[in-house]
Amino acid sequence: MPWGMTMTDDDKINTELDTLFQQARAAPAQMPEGLMARVLADADALQPAAVRLRWQVLLRALGGAPGVGGLITAGCFGFWLGVAPPASLPDLAGTVLGFEATLDAEIEGGTLTAFGWDIEES
Amino acid sequence: MMDMSNFPQTGASHTAAHGDDAEAALLQRYAQGDAAAARLLAATLTPRLYGHALRVLGDRAEAEDVAQEAMLKLWKVAPEWRSGEARVSTWLYRVVANRCIDRLRKRRSTGLDEIDEPADPAVSVERRILDAARLDALQQALDQLPDRQKQAVVLRHIDGLANPEIAVILETGVAAVESLTARGKRALTQALAGQKDALGYDDD
Repeated sequence: MPWGMTMTDDDKINTELDTLFQQARAAPAQMPEGLMARVLADADALQPAAVRLRWQVLLRALGGAPGVGGLITAGCFGFWLGVAPPASLPDLAGTVLGFEATLDAEIEGGTLTAFGWDIEES
Repeated sequence: MMDMSNFPQTGASHTAAHGDDAEAALLQRYAQGDAAAARLLAATLTPRLYGHALRVLGDRAEAEDVAQEAMLKLWKVAPEWRSGEARVSTWLYRVVANRCIDRLRKRRSTGLDEIDEPADPAVSVERRILDAARLDALQQALDQLPDRQKQAVVLRHIDGLANPEIAVILETGVAAVESLTARGKRALTQALAGQKDALGYDDD
């Protein structure tokens, strides 16, 4: 306001209002006793377990859900290859476990094929 | 599941003004099991929410409930919080603002307001004189404002927020916020003048 002008009542009250706002900002309300403790108790009760954190870290290290999915698929396929390898591959599982998973086993003069559905009569 | 409509749609100006949100990072740490993050968040946010609710509601017990409820809601949504969607403090103010409005409306519908304010104006003036020493003049004036004006004025002039953020909190436009605060200030001025007449103040 330029010098020489007098303050109107409205100006006075506006200035007073600003002063009140300033006072209110400068002196925030005291928190009631126990409120912070209750808020923290809620936080504690609702916090996801820290165990989950370790899983999340492991999951992320393996490339997240898509990475883990790929790992499982590859694992299953590898296991299947070991159990029933194509003819062109050496039968490693059979060698290790001591039996051959072949279907042309000789049984006392006859040949057992196709799980016994066509057993030759002797 | 979480109600996604609770997340304010952040406008361009809002996002630009508050690019990084330290509170969102703390909230993420809380969701990952960091207990210290909860203490930091609670210490920063609870006093602000309580202070706001107290000014709007004018009642300590109710303000306390509202602040605790808002923080409880924050802890619940923490695991699903998406950074960049909304500022944590803005979202919380919005939760608090909505709960305050609910409580103010409920008060009116159940007539609980009458307990605080005697209907007889003569008694009211006497009571105000008696209360003047312990209740501050600003709160008395605020209590007389319409809900939305009161919220806008408190957010702008006591919480010190900018109009675009207030617009997000009150779910309205920036122009509406400007109008609310302007009308609110005028009404406050009148209420303060009225108090002076009632109390027979002399300014000089």
